Amino acid sequence: MSKDLRIINNKFIDQTTRISFKFDDKTLYGFKGDTLASALLANNIHLVGRSFKYHRPRGIMACGSEEPNAIVQVGNDDSMTEPNTRATEIELYEGLEVSSQNCWPSVNFDIGAINNFFSPLIPAAFYYKTFMWPANFWKIYEYFIRKSAGLGKSPTKPDKDIYDHRYLHCDVLIVGGGISGIIAAKTAAKNNLNTVLIEDKNILGGTTIFQENECFKINNSYSNEWLKKEIETLKSLKNLTIKTRTSLAAYHSYNYLLARENLTDHLDINEKKDKIRQRLWKIRAKKVILATGSMERPLIFNNNDRPGIMLSSSIKKYIDFYGVKCGQKISLFTNNDSIYETAISLNNSGVSVNSIVDIRDKTNSLIVKQAEKLGIKVHWKSSIVNTNGYKKINSIEIMQLSDDGNDVVGKKIKEECDCLGISGGWTPRVHLFTQSGGKLKFRDEDNVFLPNKSELDQISIGSCNGDFELDEIIKNAADSINKFLKVNNNDYENLEIITSKEINKKNIWLLPSDKPLGKTKSFLDFQNDSTANDVKLALREGFKSIEHVKRYTTTGMATDQGKLSNMHALGIIAETAGVKMGELGTTTFRPPYTPLTFGTIVGRNVGEFFDITRKTPVHDWHVENKAEFENVGQWKRAWYYPIENENMHEAVQRESKAARDSAGILDASTLGKIDIQGSDASEFLNRVYTNAWSKLEIGKCRYGLMLNEDGMVYDDGVTTRLSENHYLMTTTTGGAANVLSKLEDYLQTEWPELDVYLTSVTDHYGTVSICGPNSKKILSKVIPDLDLSDKEFPHMSFKNVLVDNIKCRVMRISFTGEHSYEINIQSSYAKSVWEKCFEAGKEFNITPYGTETMHLLRAEKGFIIAGQDTDGTMTPLDLQMDWIISKKKYDFIGKRSLYRSDTVREDRKQLVGLLTDDPKEILEEGAQIVAETNKQPIEMLGHVTSSYFSPNLNKSIALAVVKNGKKLKGQKLFVPMKNKTINVTITDTVFLDKENKRLNA
Amino acid sequence: MLNFNTPIIDTKEYSEIKISEIEPILKINLRGKSRDFVTKIGKELSIITPVDPNTSSSNEKFNLLWLSPDEWFLYSNDKIGIKDANFLENKLFNEISKVKLGSVTNVSDHWIMINLRGAKIFELLSAGCPFNFNNFKNSKGAVTQTLINHIDVIIHNKNVNDLNLFVRRSFSAHLWSWMNDSARFI
Repeated sequence: MSKDLRIINNKFIDQTTRISFKFDDKTLYGFKGDTLASALLANNIHLVGRSFKYHRPRGIMACGSEEPNAIVQVGNDDSMTEPNTRATEIELYEGLEVSSQNCWPSVNFDIGAINNFFSPLIPAAFYYKTFMWPANFWKIYEYFIRKSAGLGKSPTKPDKDIYDHRYLHCDVLIVGGGISGIIAAKTAAKNNLNTVLIEDKNILGGTTIFQENECFKINNSYSNEWLKKEIETLKSLKNLTIKTRTSLAAYHSYNYLLARENLTDHLDINEKKDKIRQRLWKIRAKKVILATGSMERPLIFNNNDRPGIMLSSSIKKYIDFYGVKCGQKISLFTNNDSIYETAISLNNSGVSVNSIVDIRDKTNSLIVKQAEKLGIKVHWKSSIVNTNGYKKINSIEIMQLSDDGNDVVGKKIKEECDCLGISGGWTPRVHLFTQSGGKLKFRDEDNVFLPNKSELDQISIGSCNGDFELDEIIKNAADSINKFLKVNNNDYENLEIITSKEINKKNIWLLPSDKPLGKTKSFLDFQNDSTANDVKLALREGFKSIEHVKRYTTTGMATDQGKLSNMHALGIIAETAGVKMGELGTTTFRPPYTPLTFGTIVGRNVGEFFDITRKTPVHDWHVENKAEFENVGQWKRAWYYPIENENMHEAVQRESKAARDSAGILDASTLGKIDIQGSDASEFLNRVYTNAWSKLEIGKCRYGLMLNEDGMVYDDGVTTRLSENHYLMTTTTGGAANVLSKLEDYLQTEWPELDVYLTSVTDHYGTVSICGPNSKKILSKVIPDLDLSDKEFPHMSFKNVLVDNIKCRVMRISFTGEHSYEINIQSSYAKSVWEKCFEAGKEFNITPYGTETMHLLRAEKGFIIAGQDTDGTMTPLDLQMDWIISKKKYDFIGKRSLYRSDTVREDRKQLVGLLTDDPKEILEEGAQIVAETNKQPIEMLGHVTSSYFSPNLNKSIALAVVKNGKKLKGQKLFVPMKNKTINVTITDTVFLDKENKRLNA
Repeated sequence: MLNFNTPIIDTKEYSEIKISEIEPILKINLRGKSRDFVTKIGKELSIITPVDPNTSSSNEKFNLLWLSPDEWFLYSNDKIGIKDANFLENKLFNEISKVKLGSVTNVSDHWIMINLRGAKIFELLSAGCPFNFNNFKNSKGAVTQTLINHIDVIIHNKNVNDLNLFVRRSFSAHLWSWMNDSARFI
C-alpha cells in the first residue's frame, strides 16, 4: 500500500488487520473491510483491465454494482475460477488472487490494443456488416471474431463450492438498507409486521452513513450520526430480519423475489471450507418497499474513459468510507451540486482539489458556498474538451461553453491531474420496479425515469423514487410508508433537517469538444466501447427504436447491462432524433439485476440431488444382484442383470430365453395402481375405457385402453374387479400420476353425479411377476394351498391369498405371452416375497429379468407399450386393436373423435410388424421407412417404434408405424441408414405363439 | 415368515434437529361425501372428523387429517402390527365401503412416516419447501400437502417443533437423503 494514498479511517474498515492478495501475480496488501477496488486504489493501481473491442486501458470507475470497467478474473483453479467479477464488489480476503481480463500478454502491454488504431475501420455493428459484404469473406472474419468474443475464462471443471436455496415468507420486504430503507424497516417492524430488510453491502446505511458534512444535519447532528442511532434501534426489533451481503436479483409477479446472499465470499480461504458459499432466497412478500437508491451518471466528453476518471461519489466513498485517496491532484467535472460534497470530503481529508469544472452558470446553493469558502476553484460555464494520459489520466483540457451549450469558446486551459471525478446527475435505480411489471414516467426537470403505476403491492421510496434531497427523502419516505402499511408512525414528523438545495440544474448529454465530432471518442458504454458517434451512426443508418440501437451498437449489452450508459444513450438518441425522452422509453430491464453464479441458480440440485429418484421395495435386491438400472421417469428400474462380463445384448438374450424356456421373474412394482371404490365404479370404467366393463365378473381381470378426448391412445393397463363396487386399475409406469389426475378431474368436473372414489396405491403394493412354463410350479411352492388349475384359476383372474399370513393378491395375467402370475403384496413384504419366489424357482433356473427383456418378450407377442409404440397420434384402429372398441356403449372418452373424417382415414399410419431380409440385422428404433430410395425427395412412410433380436425366434423383429400399413402386409420396404439400406417386409404384429397356447402351458 | 422391510430404518440428529422414520404405522385413506359417512367415521374411531381445510383431530389412538372436501387420512399414533391393522381396515371397509358410504383404502405402505423434532426443523423445511410455515408452526394439528425438494408430502403439526411428515414410499429414500444433506448446513 502506498502510505500517501491512505488516511487514518477506522470507522468502516479495520486498518489494524492487514490482508495480502495477488493482482496479476503481484502480491499487494489491503485492510480487512476493503474491497478489491479500494485496495487496488490504495496501491495506486487504477489500470485493471482492457475494454472489449478496442482494448483501451480501463480503470476503476465506481464503487458498486454499476462498475463497468474493473471486472476481473477471480482465482485460477480450473473448477473455481470466476470471470467478470466486479472489483468494487469483491470483499478482500486473505489468499484472494485476481487477474485482469481481455488483455494479452499483460494489462500494461496488450497486443489487442492495436484495435484502437483501427477503430475507424471497426465502427458500431461492423461485424453485422461482415455478414453482408463480401458475403464469402465471412469464413475468414468468423475465425477472428469468434476468437475475440467473450470476456474472461470459464471454469472447465465442476464447481467445488456449495450453494443452496431457501424459501422465505414475510409481511414486508425492504430492498435497500440506505436511509429510506432503514426508516421503512423500523416503521414496519415496530408495527408488528414480519419484516425483512436486505442490503447488498456488508453494512447498512447507504451513502448517508459516511456523510459528515455541515450542509446535511438532522436534529443538529451530522446525518451519519443520526442514522447510526436509527440503525442501533433496529437491533431491538424482534420482527425484523436483516440480511446484509444480499443482493436482490429478480422481482417477479405476485411479489415473488429472488435474492442472492453471499455467505462466505468475504472469508479467508481456509474459513470457507464445507460452508455454503452463496444462497438463493426465494421470497414471497405480502408487501415490497423498494429503497434501491440511485446511481451517479458519468459525463460524456472526448476521451472520458481513461484510467483515473471516476464517478465523483465513488471518490467520496473511497476517501470517507475506505480511507483511500484516489489521487493526489484531483480535478472534478460536474453538471450538479453533489460533486461539491466530494470536493469538501477530499479537502477535509487533506487531498488537494485542483478545481471544479461546472457546466452551469454560477449557482449559490449552500454546498457550493461551503466549497468556495474552502478556497476550491470553480470553472463556471465550462467543459472538459479532452483528457490526456494513456494508462492513467495526467491532464485535462478545459474550455468555456457557449451560451447555448452546443459549442466551446475561448482559450483552452490545460490542468494537470492524476484523477478526475465526474458527475452527470443521478439515475434512480428503477430496474427492479420495472422487472415487476411497473410502468415508468419521465420527469423532464432532471431527466429521470421514475416509478409510476404498478399492479403489485409495492412502493418505491427515497432516491429511487426521485427524492434526492435529505429533507424530501425522510419526509416523503415516512409519509409513503405510513400510507402503504396503513400505520401511523410519527417518529420522523418533527425532525429539524438542514440540507443543501440544488438551485440550478443543467444537462448536456453529449458535451461539445473543440474537435469535430468524428475526431472525438466520447464513450457511452465503457465496457463494450460504444461511443456517442456509434449511436449517431445507428440513427443515420435508420435505427430509431432504443431496443434496435442497443443491439446495433451493443450499448448497454455488457455485463453491467448499461447501468451507467443507458440514460446518455437515450438522451443522445432523443436529441438527435428530435423526440422527447419520455416518449422514447427505456430498454427492457430483465433479471438478474446483477449477475448470478450458475451455482446459486442450481443450489443443491447437483450430483445425487440433480433429479428425484424413486425406488421399488425390491430395489436393494437388484443392487445386491448387480443389476444395471434404467431411468423410467423418476423410477430406477432394473434394466438387465449381467453375469460376469455380459453386455446388455448378451444378458437380454439369456434372460428372455430363460423366461420362455423355464421361468423368469420381474419387479413390476412401478406400474401405476389406482384403487377404485363406489357404487358407480363399473359405469365409471365404461366411460374411461373403450371396452365394456359392466359384465366383468368379480375376481376377473380385463385389459383396457384409455383414450384422450381426441381419440388417441393415452394409457393402457389391466383392471381387476375385487368385489361388487371395488376395482384395482393398473396404469403404465410413466402414466400413473397423469392418469389419476385426469380421472379425478373428470369425476370432479364432468361426472360429479358418479359415486366413485379414487385412491393411489402405487407405492402401497410391490408387484412380483413370475412368468414361463414353470411359473405354476414355482407359485405352488410359494403358496401351496392355492389351487392353480386352469379351471379354478384361469387366465385373466385373481385370488386373495395369504403368504405366511400376509395378505396378497395374485393375478394371473401376462405381458409376455407366457403362463404368468403377478403377486401384489404390501410393499414392506415385497422384497421378502421376491426372495421366496426366487428361492422356490432355483430348481427351475428362475432368471431375474429387467425392463429390456420385458420389452423384447412383449414385442414378440406384439403387445404395445403406450408411449413407445404410440406417440399421441395413434388411435386403437391405427394399432389394429379394433376389437377393443365397444360398439354397444353409449359413450367413452374419445369415442366421438374415432368417427371423424381424419381418424377413419384408411391411409393413416398403422402399427405393423417388420422382418428384415437378413434375420441378423437389427433395425434402429426411430429409423425411417420408405418405399423407394431413388426418388427425391424421399417420401417417409413411417418409422420403427420397437426393435430387438429375438433369441426365441432366432431372428430380428420390429414393430413400426407405417402409412396404410394394414394393407401393405407382405410388401417389401426399405430402411435407409447412414451407410446402407436395409430391406424389410411388413408382417403381422404377433411374431410368436399366435394361437396363445403358451398362456395355458 | 416374510420379513418386514422399510426403506429408511434410521434416526439422525443434527443441531436442534432430529429426524427418524417411524414404521409400521397404520394409514388409511377415507373418502366420502355424505353426512352419514362423516358420522360413521366418528362412531367407528371415536374421533371428530375435521371439516375445516388443513386441520386434523386426534385421540389416544389415531389422527385424522383433512385432505380435501371428501378425503381424509387416518394414521395411528403408535406402531401397529399387521393383524391389528388388517382388523381395523376390514372393519372400516365393511362399515363404510361395503354399505356404499364411501371408500376405505389401506395406504400403510404407500406412505412412510418421518418424524421431525427440534427448534430448527422449519429452517430445514425452508431449504426445499415453498409453503409458508409462519402460521402453521404455531397451529397445533395443522396439516399441509406440499412439496419438499419437488416431492409430494403431507405434513402434520403434532406439537411445538414436532412434525410427522408422510412421503410416498418410493420417494422416501431420496427425501431422507436430501433432508440429511440439508440438515448439515442448518
